[in-house]
Amino acid sequence: MAIVEKAPSGVPSVPALANVDSPAARRQRRERRLAYFMLAPGVLWMILFMVVPMIMVVYVSFWTQTTFAIHPTLTTDSWVRFLSNSTYLVSTWTTVKIWAIVLVATIVIGYPVALFIGLLVRNPTAQTALLILCIIPFWTSFLIRVIAWRPMLGTQGAINTILIDLHLIDHPLRFLLFSEFSVLIGMTQIYCVFMVGPITFMLSRIDPSIIEAARDLGAGFWRIFWKIILPLSLPGVIVGSIFVSVMVLGEFATAASLSGRKVNLLGNIIVTQVGSLKWAFASVAGVVLTIIIVVVITALLRVVNIRKEV
Amino acid sequence: MLALNSVSKWYGEVCALSRLSMSIPDNSYVSVLGGSGSGKTTLLRVIAGFEEQDEGTVTLGESRLDGTPPHRRGIGFVFQNFALFPHLSVFDNIAFGLRYREAGAERDESAIRDRVADSVRLVGLEGLERRGVTAISGGQRQRVALARTLVAEPRVVLLDEPLGALDTNLRERMCDELKTIRERLGVTFLHVTGNETEALLMGDLVAVLADRRIAQIAPAGELYARPASPAVARHLNAYNILSGKVSSGAFRSKAGAFPVRGDHLADGTPIDVAVRFDRFKVRASSSPDGREAAVEARFIASEFTGALVLSFFRTGDGELLQVVTHLSGPEPETYETGKDYRLAFDPNDAIVYSGGAA
Repeated sequence: MAIVEKAPSGVPSVPALANVDSPAARRQRRERRLAYFMLAPGVLWMILFMVVPMIMVVYVSFWTQTTFAIHPTLTTDSWVRFLSNSTYLVSTWTTVKIWAIVLVATIVIGYPVALFIGLLVRNPTAQTALLILCIIPFWTSFLIRVIAWRPMLGTQGAINTILIDLHLIDHPLRFLLFSEFSVLIGMTQIYCVFMVGPITFMLSRIDPSIIEAARDLGAGFWRIFWKIILPLSLPGVIVGSIFVSVMVLGEFATAASLSGRKVNLLGNIIVTQVGSLKWAFASVAGVVLTIIIVVVITALLRVVNIRKEV
Repeated sequence: MLALNSVSKWYGEVCALSRLSMSIPDNSYVSVLGGSGSGKTTLLRVIAGFEEQDEGTVTLGESRLDGTPPHRRGIGFVFQNFALFPHLSVFDNIAFGLRYREAGAERDESAIRDRVADSVRLVGLEGLERRGVTAISGGQRQRVALARTLVAEPRVVLLDEPLGALDTNLRERMCDELKTIRERLGVTFLHVTGNETEALLMGDLVAVLADRRIAQIAPAGELYARPASPAVARHLNAYNILSGKVSSGAFRSKAGAFPVRGDHLADGTPIDVAVRFDRFKVRASSSPDGREAAVEARFIASEFTGALVLSFFRTGDGELLQVVTHLSGPEPETYETGKDYRLAFDPNDAIVYSGGAA
């Protein structure tokens, strides 16, 4: 009676421990129970405050909305209104466009900063100090950081004043503030650090001797960057991109205070609709926004297998 | 010929290499023996160009290497931790230099395939080309690191403690293979190690790095038989060094006295005498023999290591002495801990280093 049967390849097959009442099997069961126990609070939390509300939002998006009331008679009215009205479609498009531009801008600005901190500064204390410098702006409130762009970008603002004083322009540049441009500037500044952090982390984990090996094999700086440094830091770029994407796609405050109401993101629509008690319509916008976020994150995760890298 | 001429390297206030000079003939295997922190790695990094020396010159053949960035030096470096590219397969690791080097990159994929295949055969990695480098064993990684360097056909290959990360069995096999591979390619290998056995086994020439410079460079047998200084003798881990003073033609210290051959030594000159571990005979304390030189020492402990028994003694002035007994010889005696013995040797086996000349 062979307990362990030989698999065809000659490798012993794994005996099913669960069916055997040995001390090892009891230990395995005990440890599994402990794992479930530790998982339980998180799962419960997520079900109560994430899964159930999500289902609710989808459900409410099909409720019937009248001017001052909402009742649970199922209808597709809100969806039809959203999908047939150019205002909402345009704001969906604006949301995606602003997300894409801000994402690219944070990568383009954040990557060199991360490259400097993570790769060129090899002293861990200095690295930490520089990263702390990056988050110092976060010591002030979100609104103040956003509003602080007004005296910078306004027609009487710092940038226009300097450009006029240097005689580079005659009239103040009007596109600087209360425009899509100012929204982009504001968002890029706020979210850049979320890109810098993860990339710096990945870069600082690159063994310096790997880069030396590449040099020794005859590769110049750009080759090493494209073939070694960038691929090895890609998981950091993806994690940073997920952070930035989730935050930018759900944004409304920056757009509200820097665009002069010219830029309406899906977030702004939700705020307005909730403000006027249009729950069903707000739910539709919420569902659309959630779908966009899910698609974006799935696409980002496709680029790199994050789990493989840890 | 790779030549270093009076090379010094400082890290802030700390001197890593001090006016080091050595020349390494073409087509040879040179091992450099040095303790940890002796500047072995710095020496290699200066030659490879990862660091620039503060003084002196490094030349390869007719051309000067210092001032040239590492990717233009044509020198191969095998890292102690292998430094493989973790995101690339075995094949792509080996092909890296051919594909991406600045000068003379190979554009033809089939030529790359052929050359990588040759190199894979040379180090015996057939069948693993598609594997990721994190999915192979330590010995295989070592081979990838070697193949990756050799495929680019460098003129000199620097090996930084290449066997340090391998277990003993694998070490011995890699030793043989490194020698064979080098002979087949006809390039120069410069191998640094802290292990005296490895250094003596591998090197056609063995250099000892002590006090931040090359203390001696000589064929292995010659170096082992006649170390040029007490420092070299210490690095070989095979010599007891007795320190004392000359007094009327004899070595004298707290441990004992015996005549030395250097007859023109003035009284009071400090001298060091090196005697190999296996040249000592252990005698009972009260058995003087006029023809033998001897020192008195107290037995501490023995270690049985298989074919050898190491016995440790301490002299009156605190010096620790080792005596090696081969089990192939007469039945080893057992000694009593804490008891004094006479450690006797033939005066002709003593190597004398006189005052500071060492």
